[in-house]
Amino acid sequence: MLAVELAGDAVKARHGSMVAYTGRMTFKKLTGGGDGLRGMVARRLTGERMTVMEVKGQGTCYFADQATEINLVRLSGEALYVESDNLLCTEAGLHTGTSFTGLNGVSSGNGLFTTKVEGHGWAAVTSNGPAVILRVGKDMPLRVDPGAYLAHTGSLHRSLKSGAGWTTVIGEGGGEAVQIEFTGEGLVYVQPSEKVTIGGDV
Amino acid sequence: MGFTRINGKLVEARVVPGQRLFSQRGAMIAYTGDVRFTPNITGGQGGVMSMIGRRVANEDTPLMTVEGHGRVMFGHGGHHVQVIDLVGDTLFVEADRLLAFEGTLRQSTVFLGSQGGVMGMVRGQVSGQGLFTTRLEGHGSVAVMAHGGVFELPITPDRPVHVDPQAYVAHRGEVRNKLSTAIGWREMIGRGSGEAFQLELSGQGAVYVQASEEKL
Repeated sequence: MLAVELAGDAVKARHGSMVAYTGRMTFKKLTGGGDGLRGMVARRLTGERMTVMEVKGQGTCYFADQATEINLVRLSGEALYVESDNLLCTEAGLHTGTSFTGLNGVSSGNGLFTTKVEGHGWAAVTSNGPAVILRVGKDMPLRVDPGAYLAHTGSLHRSLKSGAGWTTVIGEGGGEAVQIEFTGEGLVYVQPSEKVTIGGDV
Repeated sequence: MGFTRINGKLVEARVVPGQRLFSQRGAMIAYTGDVRFTPNITGGQGGVMSMIGRRVANEDTPLMTVEGHGRVMFGHGGHHVQVIDLVGDTLFVEADRLLAFEGTLRQSTVFLGSQGGVMGMVRGQVSGQGLFTTRLEGHGSVAVMAHGGVFELPITPDRPVHVDPQAYVAHRGEVRNKLSTAIGWREMIGRGSGEAFQLELSGQGAVYVQASEEKL
């Protein structure tokens, strides 16, 4: 559950995620994810479509989604890459857009594109269970299960690693055939749960 | 007596001779001591008339009476459990959200239409409460189930609270609720913000809200 104090300013939140509020609030749907016309077209094409509403007013507004945990990410100029499914709420000062992740997104179940949030302010990311933040350094790359990956910040390069061998082919795999490898420097957010992915079955 | 919270999804109750507990049938997880569970055919307190009332009102969740001497743990369906202590005030909650409550509380069924007439009935339909709800009053503890964590929002006369009907769990105290709509031309052309209906609660008391928009 996320509580947002508003004093005349606005936040962008996922469509229908308000659970309660005190004071005066107005809810307005932002067409096409709130990035203007170009952003809308980009979102339609990339499948990173999200329905976003703008909440404006005075008082406290509470947001929640399907009993998931909420993680606050503070951005000061850097970019946060997050799946649109996991983005609950952003401050109005943050800019959202789509970015291409390459082919490795497909088998991880995250699609070819992901949402990029940049600017200064707070973003709320949902996770199924409390999220863990893992640091990636120059000499220590990180491998993450695609279904447990939530978001990342910093200058990270992601690539898909496969641990599939002949045992996987005959149906005796370890259940961890595909991983995302992060190299570079930054932080990766991981949830203690796995969503269903194509790679998750092998 | 009362309920002790073990974790977010389990509560423990101490049972002593002469005091009864009511719980949803099948919600017992474990117990120690000499405890008897008897199905409560009438579905709660009162006699046959109350039973008929509950059947008609569709607030007849199967209950069992817990008696004896020992400790009992309750939990159900992995739902989050919230313990609410009543000290002479009233709690309004849906019968299917009731996990367990102490026998010292008086249980009754109320017609939502009695609070706001036709709009009360409409409100019950929109919020998924139906036309009737369960009222508990007196001194004692209640364990209520919800999907996701629950938090309590105080309501004061100068600070009404608006709640998404799907996230509403229960409310206590002298609270008037009415359905407020924020339907404009945007909703008509399918461009709504998804927050067209809200329950507006005003008065003196508190409302319990769950961190999810899913009903039980």
